[in-house]
Amino acid sequence: MTAARVSPSRRRFSGAGRRVAPYVFIAPFVVLFLAFLVAPIVIAVVNSLFATRSSGLGFGGSETVFAGVDNYVVAFADSDFLTSFGRVLLFGIVQVPVMMMIAAGLALMFDSALVRGRRFFQFAVFLPYAVPGVIAALLWGFLYQPSVSPIVQGLRAIGLDADFLAPGTVLWSIANVATWSVTGINMIILFAALQTVPREMYEAARLDGAGELRIALGVKLPMIAPAILLTTLSSVIGTLQLFNEPQVMQTVTSNISSDYTPNMAIYAASTLAKNPNLASAMAVILGVATLIVSVIILRINNRATRTATDGLH
Amino acid sequence: MNATTPNRRRLLRTAAAVVLGSLSVASLAACSSGSGSSSGGEASGSAEISFWGWVPGLEDLVDQWNEENPDVQVDFHRMTGDDGQKVEAAVDAGAGPDLVQLSTHDLPDYVISDRVQDITEFVSDEEGNYTAASWASVSFDGKVYGIPQGIGPSGMMYREDILAQYGIPVPTTWDEYLEAARALHAANPELYIANMSPTEFGQWVQEVSQAEGSWYSIEDGAWTVGIDDEKSRAIAERWQTLLDEGLVTTEQMWTPEYWALVNAGTIATISYAAWFPSQLALNAEETSGKWRVAPMPVNAGSSNQGDSGGAAVVVLAGAKDPGAAAEFAAWLNGADETQETLITVGGLFPSTTNGLASDALLQESEFYGGQVVNEVFIEAAENTPATWTEGPNFGTATTALTDEFSTVVNGEQTFVQALEKAQKAVVDDLKSRGLSVNE
Repeated sequence: MTAARVSPSRRRFSGAGRRVAPYVFIAPFVVLFLAFLVAPIVIAVVNSLFATRSSGLGFGGSETVFAGVDNYVVAFADSDFLTSFGRVLLFGIVQVPVMMMIAAGLALMFDSALVRGRRFFQFAVFLPYAVPGVIAALLWGFLYQPSVSPIVQGLRAIGLDADFLAPGTVLWSIANVATWSVTGINMIILFAALQTVPREMYEAARLDGAGELRIALGVKLPMIAPAILLTTLSSVIGTLQLFNEPQVMQTVTSNISSDYTPNMAIYAASTLAKNPNLASAMAVILGVATLIVSVIILRINNRATRTATDGLH
Repeated sequence: MNATTPNRRRLLRTAAAVVLGSLSVASLAACSSGSGSSSGGEASGSAEISFWGWVPGLEDLVDQWNEENPDVQVDFHRMTGDDGQKVEAAVDAGAGPDLVQLSTHDLPDYVISDRVQDITEFVSDEEGNYTAASWASVSFDGKVYGIPQGIGPSGMMYREDILAQYGIPVPTTWDEYLEAARALHAANPELYIANMSPTEFGQWVQEVSQAEGSWYSIEDGAWTVGIDDEKSRAIAERWQTLLDEGLVTTEQMWTPEYWALVNAGTIATISYAAWFPSQLALNAEETSGKWRVAPMPVNAGSSNQGDSGGAAVVVLAGAKDPGAAAEFAAWLNGADETQETLITVGGLFPSTTNGLASDALLQESEFYGGQVVNEVFIEAAENTPATWTEGPNFGTATTALTDEFSTVVNGEQTFVQALEKAQKAVVDDLKSRGLSVNE
């Protein structure tokens, strides 16, 4: 449909120009893609196959040697690294659905005519997303610490002794920060998707006797399924790469270990333990794990879509 | 359109998944690169030296040097936040400074990975001005890799008013310390003798050093790891008793929560290094005049004190004029004219003979009720055994230890079990680096 708009200028790109033009247009993307995505991945994979070895006491210097899959063996033998995957998986299973439900619920509310002061509330829900993740974690860190937190002190005043930083609760305190931060952007994406749904469909549904709730669940949500999939997928990936919040909150509680999440374990290996080769191997493992989870989600979604489509025939 | 859309969409989605999935790999590659030092020949008479450091007041000293030495101009960068972790990457990228201030705990790793230069030929005649232990902390295999800048002899800050109120004598041995802990908590269940911060490894290190232990030692040309040795186990059992009997709090140090405990008078003693009294005064203003400093409790039959570690100024691999850089470092840390600023403005506890003799060290402190607190630390420095040896992979050791200790204070395991796990992590890591390890 955009073809009509560009057609007047098409004449200029005749002959050789016509063949070159597309490449010129995609060149900036390709260059950046190669420099900042493909090249680093290649370097990481290569690095993961090498190791720095010294001998004796080590003061004779060190050399880089080919290590094959040694780094991968070490990474897979590290039970804390594997545990960190389980931890973010548990986190994701709870946090992503909760966050998506809140985001979808808010988007549907703002889309319906029910809410007064829509722009204000939309802005209010979106605002936390504008707060950088590190700042958000610092902020919530203060709200979780009993001696400086009005929340904890308020709960104590009514007889509830809450410890948001205890070993069992700190994961969910992090989940709360993540949810607070990203619900807004997901709500905006879903809300934008809702604006593209033809209004006639609602009219048709209403004529068929559907109420607002039925329309929301039976028409609106299925119509924005691709947007829901996109936001869910990026949320799952965000979960696997969880780093900012736990890393910052580590400064206020000892209940977050140095390898609490896969990315923190990678950071610990590269920066604290000074082993960038092992860290590269761990990063490759995390990347592959993320890919697998993403593909699984897409498969499930495709099957669900196919079943739904089959049902129509 | 209907026929093509689903396929195209699936393709796009898969592509998106691939791209997003690989982002985590991409973010890491930036962190690792082969180590290599840049060397360029600058043969001109004047030198420019870049220096990163964190001690307060260094700007003034650098200005003074620049005025007196037009040939060697120093450019100072104050390190904040995680600048310390950027140094290695900067050196590897050939973009590091010439000189950097470094914890001596980290120095062996720098030596092993060729990130520092041997400066023996430039500074060997400085040795006489430094304490033996501090000079040993910058010397490996007979070569000198830095100029010591401050050490951390131990002392015990205690609430004079609280101990007096409950008639508890100031504990001088660890046995008395345990008795004092029990008596204090029995007299007032809201009070605790100490806070055992699972992440503050410096406090652990000073007790290991006091017990004549060391995380690393060299035997028959190989490393021996002593994290889990008899001496450390004795310390583990001491703190296990205090923990099991509920006589200590376990907040993470340096957090608002920790300072709230200190300010509220919940914690009666804090054992830490000579640089800690000024930090305490800064963060617990409300308690001014109530604290005193005594020697850290000693082990039965010994008068040893401990040291949690010092710092050094080292010449990094990329430095083009190591001689000039070493000369400046030697002046900065060892000259008579710099000692007062380093002590009073910098808050350093000197590792130099002229610094230890400086009047600047013997100031009365109002926060400590007019006590000359450094008298305690000077004596502690004299009583620190020279057994502690710096070794490689200190970062692995502290990470493993603090992670394990964090689960100890939750009651999931004991300190002894934590030491066993940390020992294994460190030994495994040394072996994977190809180093010789005694077992």
